[in-house]
This record gives sequence, structure tokens and C-alpha cells, in this order.
Amino acid sequence: MPNKMQYGGNHKLIGKDYTTLDLHAKVTGQAKYAEDYRAEGMLFCKLALSPVPHGRVRKIDATEALAMPGVKGILTAEDLPAPADSIDDNGRVIRANTRGFRGLTNEPLFQGEPILAVAAVDELTAAEAIEKIHIDIEPLPFAIDPIETLRPGSPNPRTEGNIWYRPKGQPGQPPPQLDVRPLKWTQADFDAAKDGALPMGEVPEDSGVVWSYGDVDAGFKNAALILDETFVTPDTSHQCLETRSAMAYWQNGKVHIHTGTQSMIQTVPAVARWLNIPPENVVVVSEYTGGGFGSKITADISLIIPALLSKKCNAPVMMRITREEEHFIGRARPSMIGRVKVGFGKDGRILALDMFTVCDTGPYDAVGDAASSGRIVSLIFQPQAMRFKGLTVMTNTPPRSAQSAPGGMQGIVFMEPVLAKAARKLNIDQVAIRRINAPEGKAPLGPEVRGKRAYATSAFIKEALERGAEEFNWKEKIARPKRSGTKVRGVGVALGCYVGGSIGFDGLLLIKPDGHICFQSGIGNLGTESVIDVHRVAAEMLGVPWEKCDVCWGTNAKNVPWSCPSGGSQTTHAMTRAAYAVAEEAKKRLCEIAAKKLGGSPENYEVANERVFHKGGGAGLTLAQAAQEAVKMGGIYDGHEVNPDVNKFTKQSVAALAGQGFVASARDKYAHDGQTHSYVASFAEVEVDLETGKYYLTDFLAYADVGTVLHPKALGGQVLGRSTLGIGHAITQKWIMDPEYGAMLSRRFHHSKPPTILDVPQNMQWAALDIPDPETPVGSRGIGEPPVGGGCAAVLNALSDAVGDEVFRRAPVYADTILTSLEAGRPMQQPLTAHI
Amino acid sequence: MAVIRDIMPAFDLLQPSSVSEARQLLQQHGQEAWVLAGGLDSFDWLKDRIKRPKYVVDLSGIGELRGIRQTSDGGVEIGAMTTLTEVVTHPVIKERFGVLAQGAELAASPQIRNQGTIGGNVSQDARCHYYRAGWPCYRAGGNICYADTPTGRNREHAILGADRCVAVNPSDSAPALIALDAKFVVQTAGGEKVVDAEDYFIGPDIDITRLNILQPGDLLTAIRIPAAWAGSQFYFEKIRDRNVWDFALLNVAAAIKVSGGNIDQMRIAVNGAAARPLRLKAVEQLAAGKPRNAATGEMAGKLAVEGAVPLQFNAYKIPLMRNLVKRAVGGVEVASWAS
Amino acid sequence: MSEKPAGDVKNPKDAIKAVSRRRFIQGVIAGGAGVSAATYLFRASTPSSAASTGDRLITINVNGQDRRVDVMKQETLAMTLRYKLGLTGTKIGCDRAECGACTVLIDGVPRYSCSTLTHTVRNAKVLTVEGLASADGKLHPVQQGIIEEQGFQCAFCMSGFIMATVAFLEKNPNPTRTELAHGISGNLCRCQDYDKILTAMMRGAEIMREQKHA
Repeated sequence: MPNKMQYGGNHKLIGKDYTTLDLHAKVTGQAKYAEDYRAEGMLFCKLALSPVPHGRVRKIDATEALAMPGVKGILTAEDLPAPADSIDDNGRVIRANTRGFRGLTNEPLFQGEPILAVAAVDELTAAEAIEKIHIDIEPLPFAIDPIETLRPGSPNPRTEGNIWYRPKGQPGQPPPQLDVRPLKWTQADFDAAKDGALPMGEVPEDSGVVWSYGDVDAGFKNAALILDETFVTPDTSHQCLETRSAMAYWQNGKVHIHTGTQSMIQTVPAVARWLNIPPENVVVVSEYTGGGFGSKITADISLIIPALLSKKCNAPVMMRITREEEHFIGRARPSMIGRVKVGFGKDGRILALDMFTVCDTGPYDAVGDAASSGRIVSLIFQPQAMRFKGLTVMTNTPPRSAQSAPGGMQGIVFMEPVLAKAARKLNIDQVAIRRINAPEGKAPLGPEVRGKRAYATSAFIKEALERGAEEFNWKEKIARPKRSGTKVRGVGVALGCYVGGSIGFDGLLLIKPDGHICFQSGIGNLGTESVIDVHRVAAEMLGVPWEKCDVCWGTNAKNVPWSCPSGGSQTTHAMTRAAYAVAEEAKKRLCEIAAKKLGGSPENYEVANERVFHKGGGAGLTLAQAAQEAVKMGGIYDGHEVNPDVNKFTKQSVAALAGQGFVASARDKYAHDGQTHSYVASFAEVEVDLETGKYYLTDFLAYADVGTVLHPKALGGQVLGRSTLGIGHAITQKWIMDPEYGAMLSRRFHHSKPPTILDVPQNMQWAALDIPDPETPVGSRGIGEPPVGGGCAAVLNALSDAVGDEVFRRAPVYADTILTSLEAGRPMQQPLTAHI
Repeated sequence: MAVIRDIMPAFDLLQPSSVSEARQLLQQHGQEAWVLAGGLDSFDWLKDRIKRPKYVVDLSGIGELRGIRQTSDGGVEIGAMTTLTEVVTHPVIKERFGVLAQGAELAASPQIRNQGTIGGNVSQDARCHYYRAGWPCYRAGGNICYADTPTGRNREHAILGADRCVAVNPSDSAPALIALDAKFVVQTAGGEKVVDAEDYFIGPDIDITRLNILQPGDLLTAIRIPAAWAGSQFYFEKIRDRNVWDFALLNVAAAIKVSGGNIDQMRIAVNGAAARPLRLKAVEQLAAGKPRNAATGEMAGKLAVEGAVPLQFNAYKIPLMRNLVKRAVGGVEVASWAS
Repeated sequence: MSEKPAGDVKNPKDAIKAVSRRRFIQGVIAGGAGVSAATYLFRASTPSSAASTGDRLITINVNGQDRRVDVMKQETLAMTLRYKLGLTGTKIGCDRAECGACTVLIDGVPRYSCSTLTHTVRNAKVLTVEGLASADGKLHPVQQGIIEEQGFQCAFCMSGFIMATVAFLEKNPNPTRTELAHGISGNLCRCQDYDKILTAMMRGAEIMREQKHA
């Protein structure tokens, strides 16, 4: 439902709704996504995927295929460039992972992994060619269940083992590459874990994440209630509606790549690394991206397939990724198994927490979910003492990646049902038990390192919880009768939290000699609208009406600055800071121009209402005149000289814009005390039919603590959209795999079940506190991630309020689970079996 | 040879304009022909390149297969190519045979109902995720069932009537048509054949590779609904995971004639429990003459699931079927919250 | 998800012999090989038949214009629109009639163009998102509603949602949010912006009513 609150206070642009510049092209169908581009002589490629979850390609015979008319070329793993080391912004060498996902392989590590690609004049010819290729594969042992792979004597997903570890480094040398080895728990570990509890097996220090703070044992000793629960979250594919299709061609030594990406400029060095070519030779075009959610942070490595085929065939190549292929290579949130032992005081305060999580990362690089699950839990529930162990295990299942609130979402989902149960046992209101445990202000988080803990920049979540409870009519709702006919209803509340911003990126703007201002945007356009929204900060500071502003985005060929990766809800925070920085820089330089032209010192000038003028009235220049002067003056004013603070990518863009008008660039160097996080309080109501187990979500509200509101309608979309992403984990989404053959069975939407418009209430509500974060100039934090855990957990808590605590122990919760458990009077689910 | 999906193989598209022309083409091309109704089941098979017919016979241009006609006996005849949307919105069906409108409306999604036909909906193939992925199982002509093993994923599979294959029939309109005692009109090489709705469907014991009686060359042309059950008390319920675009875990359809609170006559069918929609004759007999109340419902539900055998992951279907039948027969205790 | 109450299998791997796995792998690798041996090339001349659609060069009416286009027999409307007619506003999200991104109106009826053969719409009128705004660029009320309410996020699903909504509102000009949600429930949004989409589409309905009234 439309939010009725007024945001933005006295601001002109910040906190106000407007029509984003990209919307007209979207509603008229003119917006071009990767697969919408055509190029003269464009070929099509198709992929051959591994039928086995683990195997070794012994021989590929493509003779017959390559002889077919219309077939132009084949690409196999042999054609891929060697993974290249890279150098980060600070000059440190980052060792290439030679065991990472490379797009094509001769040792497939999951069913559906691409082995080769064929380019032909059309898709049908490419498909028919692939059917004529003989691929001789030697099947190898495999493992698809993360817990099973820890059993003594069980098969390993990779020949070398099932976990990554960090070999000991040499002093003065770059850290060595991660390596793989087996980890098996003991039979005694498994025997000790009863009733579906996660076995408390070994987590090696050089592989997992192990930390603690406070006196955990004392906490448990003083506890009035101790709960020890295991919960399992599902693997959920991102399933962006736009698959990772890509089109590529080479021109004048440069590769031009049309792809979807979450982060425009950040994709350029990634592509350079994957292709092992200099970034100067990479042009990425991505004006519109059909969803990312963490699976396209810098596009996807599979784009090297059309790029390399294009080079080989000397023609543009389109790779149209099908939905089934997207199920395999489109990435997914990892399933996690979490066991939390929580000691509560009589008032519901968490005195001690012992948390153990196991994360299934698939066969390639380890995702960070296990580590972040502990950090986020330590912040949002503020346990007085905590011990954390996180282990990441490999399996022969499709590779995972970050997905909105990676790890944080799972951690919250492990904790929230326990909090709900504790409140019932201690006879405390659900809102109250969250209030007493919620963070406030510069709340501590994570482990104690050398006697100190990190802390958040701010947290006002207690207020969001209060206001949310009021808007949701929490008190009235819990006072109503629960049961009527065959139906029972329940309400749930949960807290959500995740990181909400990074720092240190660049802003770049151009004031044209006609007075129009162009904000160069290196942010990706994946629908959050931050690609445009953040620049309104600079427009407001410069006093330029939005109608005279343009935002230039979509390709590095348009000379965009170094911007943050749009992942982990960084962008609004990082890039409003960059926008603020470039606006301050522009003001300073405009005053200098005015002083030079009109006399006096720059300090006597100010910028407002499209003018730079003498303070207190008097002489001045319009911004158009100032831009004209900038061109005459050259140097730092029109981009012929560049602000030394900015990144090399920004420097290149400044050089390319030089002479076109007034050019300003700046890097965000503002102080930042603490780690930026955002928060949400989520409320849900469900109605369960006890005779069928079928339930409906009947009400939902999310109240967000995201600092200053930048663009209310876009914010509302994020808050409810990501809430629903989380709700999907509670109600419908999962993978189904056959363990005997290691094969993915959920290859269609009706198998993996992303939520539909009828699976959520038609009048969801949201609101935001609009209290600025004190550690960032504009006060805005990111919001993409926090609602996911809150949305999922609020629904789970509403369900257990309705049907009881002993009904489900994994998500999603389907009708069958509820019905069978109620029927038997005890939990009927085996939580630890993967992919059922 | 490597496998590839998601590209329809080339075929010749035959577009007859009359039933006789269609029959002729089907007879002529036999096994090499594929009948295309709305196409929503067909395209899956074709795009996966698992089925590779040489000829596809598109029935969409045959006017005589479309539309809903009232018959002289007060029933209706529905052309096989009538879309589900037309069935759902037809005033006579809504008013007199509402159980069919309810069932058809719960199928898939609005766009699918706009294109998918009643003939296609009752004739669609099994959705077992092993079979549909092209695994060489019994139903595909092989000699193994991948779902019916201790670790096979069989949450959606059969609890009744399984014989080697444990796939279920996915149709939502089929049980409603059985409850209405519909007749299916089939054109065969030997001429027109009219069969009772429940006899249109077959289990693996009869033929493990088909869900219905159609042989290559046969054509379902119409479904006739007699007046007999018009205006009865109806019940339809479908339980699915998502509230749109999902197949039934189970559904139930019933037509009940009640006088003085007692059940005179009843027809009831369940789908999603077996390879064919099951008409529950024993339940019908049990309920006859008894009051339509919770106690009769309880008895009916228990009787309905007698002999059900669960697989590893679908034991829930037993209480679910029991309760759905109970509700169909005895009614539902509706929630009456004030707020 | 739920399990059989009894009969827990301790080591299920024993239940099936390794042999069956080998057979399976061979089956999957060879799956389709048997059939694919029957070579066909769409380029070859098609067998003659009275009912054969014959020509691949056909005329279809799209957005009010007759377009001559060379269409393969097995070609879907979504592919023809996108790859032959340059109308890329219609998206292919799943190609399996599951997501609705490819929704177009065929004689005013919303259909999944990924699952409609182009040869079957030769006599129909096809409307895509590109054909909604009037010639002078004035947006359709449903498009205008989205502009006003900042509907959708990544918008890959948008054209399909728009087409489904336009058709629904023609028949139901004054729906409730729930009725509208049912009407457009054949479309998936992975940004899960359903609530804002409904708000935008309800605004579109309002504008449509205002324009009819005026």
C-alpha cells in the first residue's frame, strides 16, 4: 500500500518522490537489456552441460558438429585464459583462484556445469551441432549433502576434499592460495546429536570462522531458560527474471560486452581479469539489468564464453541463457544448518549464545554466509556473551553466491524462532523480548579482538519496533481469539539487519556550457534506482532544478567514475557520500572561477539557485557562464587536470570529458566512525487451516531504520520487495535434488516456487523512521538486505504462534509439514536431509 | 551425444480446419504426428527435445472443436478446444455446473487458462520431475522408477494405484468432470466412441506410458455434461504450494444431491493421489442416505484412504486426502472471526 | 518434506546398486541420441500435405501493422517479435509459460508469446508493449500509472505485467487490489515488487476511468 508518511523535511530533492529518468524507456519497452542488442553478422551460441555431478572429460569429439553447415566454432575449457592474479586498489596482489568457477570445465563439479559452447548462425543449428558432439565423461564420486559429506568415510565433492583452508603463509609474502582438503567428523559426533540436531563436529581454525566474546559459560549458568535448537534454511536460486545472457564482439582490439550487471564500472576490471586483458580494452554496456540480488555483482564470468567465441569466430556472438541453465549457473543462496544454544534471563535478555552454522557453498569458492551469520546475530540480538563457529562445506551442487543479506538472513532465521519460543516460555510479549535485546546507538558487534569489539554507526531499531507494533495493531491482534472453525491464526514479529554501506568512492559531474548538469554514474541499473537517486543529493547542494540535470549511466564508454559494487546494500550510503563530496568540490571550484573572473577571494562566494555569486548579493555568474569560464581557464576546472584523490578509472573518465565544460571529481574522504548497518522490524499475520495445513499470509508490515530517506517510493519497493524475497524462503522456495544421481530436479519455476503476487497480502505496508545516521554526511544508509531476514522470520514466527513450536524445523514450511506434524503430535520433519 | 534443451526441434506444422481433416492427418502420420491443443504441455516436451514428432497437428483452427453448446437434455457439450477461460466464465457452467468452473479456474494461471483447453487439461501428461526431465523411467519406456526409491524425491507422487510408476495425474478439471458424470467423445480409427469420464483415464496397470485411452491417431473432440447433476451441491478444493501456477498436491470434486439434510446421491473424485483421477465409489455408497454432516464426512474420509501406501516423502497425502474428502462430504466448519 | 512415520532407511545408498547409476548416466548422456539420429534440417523442403502451412513467409498483424516475416514452423511468437520484428519490449523470462514476461495480447487476450506458435496467429491481431502508447507518444493509462507511482524495479517483467493489466482492466475497469492481483497473477516479478506494482496498476485503472469519463 502507498505509504502516507511525509519524508525529506525541508529538503528540496532528498526524501521526495520523483520520476526516475529510466522509467519512460521501461514502460514503453524501449529499455534495452543485454539480450535486446543486435549486431551485424551476430552468431548464437549454445552450451553443452554436464550430465553428471562430478566427472572428468576424457575426450570431446566435435568433428561431425563442426562439419555442419552454419556451425562457426567451438569453445572448450582448453580455450580459456589462465586465471590471472589481480592488484587491488591498495596495490596488493590478489592471487587468482585456479580452482574457481571458470565458465567451462573439463572436470564438471556439478550437474549442469557447462563443458563447451558452440557458435552457429542460429540457435537451432547450434543445438543440433551440440547433439552431434560426443563427450566422453568418466563419472567420479560425488556428494550433494553438506552434512553427509562430513560423515566418516563419505565421498568428497572434489578429489582433494570437501573444505577450503588457508595454508600457512610466509612472512613478507602474499598470502598463499586457498587449498582444499577433507574434513570428516567422528561417528561419536554424529551419535551425540539427537533428534535432528546439528552434530557439534570439529571446525578447524584454518578453515572455519571461530570467535567469541564475554563469559558464555557464566551466562548459561545464570540463565532462567536455555534453549538448544537446530534449524535449516533452504537453497534458493536468485532467479533474476533476466537470465545472465550476454552478447560480445571485438572492435579495434577492444571487447564490447552487453550484459546485465549490478555494478557498471566495477564490472570492467572483473571482465579484464577473467579474460586476462588490460581493462583499457574492455567496454561494458549495461543500461538495464533484469535483477541481480547478489548473483550479478560484477556481471557473471559466463560472459567470457561469447567474448572468446566472438574472437575465435571473428563475429559478434549472442549467448542466450535459458531458464534451465540459469537454474544451474545463475547462483543461489546457500542452505545453512544452524544450531543455537541460547541462555535467557528471566526478563528475556540473552545472557549467552553458543552458535554453530554450517554452510553449503557448492563446489567452488566459499561464500561468506557462515561468517556473516554470526556477526549479524551478535549485532541485532546483542547477546551479552557469545561463542561462534562457522564452517563452509563443499558439495557437488550448483555454485552459490551472495544473495540479499547473505548469512545475515540465515542467522536471523536461526535465532528468531528461538526468541519467539523463549518469549512464550517466559511469558513475555514478543515485541518486548525483541526490544530488550535490540541494539541501540553505537552498538557493539562481532568478536572481541585485542580487548575491543567493533560497533555500528548507529541503530534506532527500538523505535522502529515500537512504531511498527503500533501501526500493525500488535496489541489488538494478540488479544483476539485465535481459533475459529478449522482455522487458527498467528502473528509474528522479527528483527532484520545487515550491513548498509561502504565508503571511499568517487563522484564526477559535468556542467555544460548551457548550464545543464550531467552526473556521471558508474553505478549499475538493476532497479533499485540508486543509479539515479544518489545524484539528487548533489543537485540539491548545487541548487540546480532536477529538470536541468541529466544522469549518464550504462557503460564505461560514457566516462563514468569509480563507484562502489552494488552489493550488500552499499550504494545509497557510499554514493550519496561520493555525491556529497563532488558537490562540495564543485562548489569550491565554482567559487574559485567566480573569484578569478569577478575578483575577490573564493571564500566570499557561494553557490545556489544555479548561480555562483558574491555572498550577500552582488556580482555573480550563472552556472552556464561559469562552465564557459571553466573551459577557458582549463586545468582543474575543465578536466584537463584531475583531482589526485580519485581512482584511476575516474581519472580516465575525467580526461575523456576534459574541455566539455566544468568538470569536477572528488573522492569520499569523510569520517566514518563505526560499521554502517540498517535495520527493520517486520510483522506478519497468518491464517492456517488445520485440516489441510494450507496457510495464507494475511497481513505484513515492515518498519525500517535506514537513516535519511532518499527516495520514498523506491525505498518502499526495496523494503517490501526484499521482505517478500525473505518471505519466499519461509513459504515456498527451495531446491529439490536427487541424492542417488546428484541431479537437480527443480528446474522450472513450479519446482523452485518463487512467490507469486497471490502468495503475499495485497496490502503490505511499510514505513521508515527517517532519522539520519550520524556517521555519513547525508545520513542515508542502504536497505536492500535487512528486510530479507526480518520478512522470513516474521512469517515463521507467525506460523509457530498459530500452530505451536514443535511443528517445523526447516524452511520453507509447506502445508504438508504442518499437517503431518499436527497429525502425529510431534515434529515429523527430518531437518538435516538436504534438498528434499 | 550431448544433450541440449530449450530449442524446439524443427517439425512440419499441419493446420487442419475440420475434424475430418485432422483425423485424416492423424491416421496418415500415425506415430510421427503430435496433436497440439493449447500447447502448454506439448511445448515443454518439444522444447526439451525429448519428443520429436515429424508432424505437429495444430487443432486451433478447427472451429467445430470450440465452444460450449447447450444440449437438448439440459446439459452442455464442450468442444475439446474450448479454453479453460471460456469454461470458467460460461454462464451456464457457472450457474449449473459450478464445480467445473471452480476446478478449471484453479488451473495454472490466467494466461494459461486463456490458451489451454479443456481437452488439453484432461489429456495432459504426468508431471513427475524425473519423467519430465527425460530420465529413462518406466513411463518413458525404461525399466526403473526413480521416484519410488528410499531416497527418490516423491513428495508429489501417488499414494494409491501405483504400479511400478508412481506419477500422478495433474488435471484440475478431470475430477470435476467425473463428479458431473461427464462423457468424453473420442474419434478413433474405428469411429466415434463415447466413454464415461472416469474411463477416459488409465493407470499404469493398463498402460504405463499413457494417462488416458487415446491411441496414436485418436482425437478427443468433445466433453458432454449431462443435466443429471445440474444445480447439485458442489464442492471443489485444491491444495497447492503456491496460490497460482502450481499443480495440485491433491484436489477433490464432489456433486451431492441432498434432500431433507440427507445425501440422496453423490459423485466424488480426487486427483493427485494416483495416476488417474479416482472416483471414490465406496465413499459414494457409504454416504448415500446419510445426513450431510461432520460424522458422515469423518467416515467418508477414513474410507477414502483405505489401502493408501505412502512413499518416503508423501505420507501427508493420506491425512490430506482424508480431510479433503471429509470436507467435501460433510462440509467445512468455516471460520467466523469478527475481525 | 514430511516423511513416512516408519521405515527409516539407515543407509539409503545401499538400496540402489551402483549399476543403476551407470545405466542412468549412460541414459542421460545418450538421452535423445536415438531420436536425434533422425536428422532434419528446417532448411529442407517440408513434406507436402494439404494442411501444411506451406509458406514460411507469412503476414502477421502486430500493433496495427501488417508485417511480412519469414517464420519457421516451430518458431514461437516471442522469438518472431524479438528477433525478426525488432520488438524487444516483449521479454523471454523462462520460455516455459511460467513467468509471464512474454505476455502479449492476441485479439485482446493476454497470452504467453513464448508458448504460442507464430504460425497460429496469422489471422489475429497482436499487441505488444510497443503498440500501447498513442502515435503522438501519449502513454496508455497503465503506463502512466507506473510513471506516477514508480512501479516496478528492474522492470524485466514489466511489459508482460502491463499487457496483462491492460487486458484485465478492459473487462474489469474498477477492480479491488485483490481482484487485480488475481487478474495479473500469471506474471512473476523477481524483485518481488508486487505491492508497488499493484499500487501503480490501480493508479492506471483510475486514470483509465478518468479518461473514459472525460
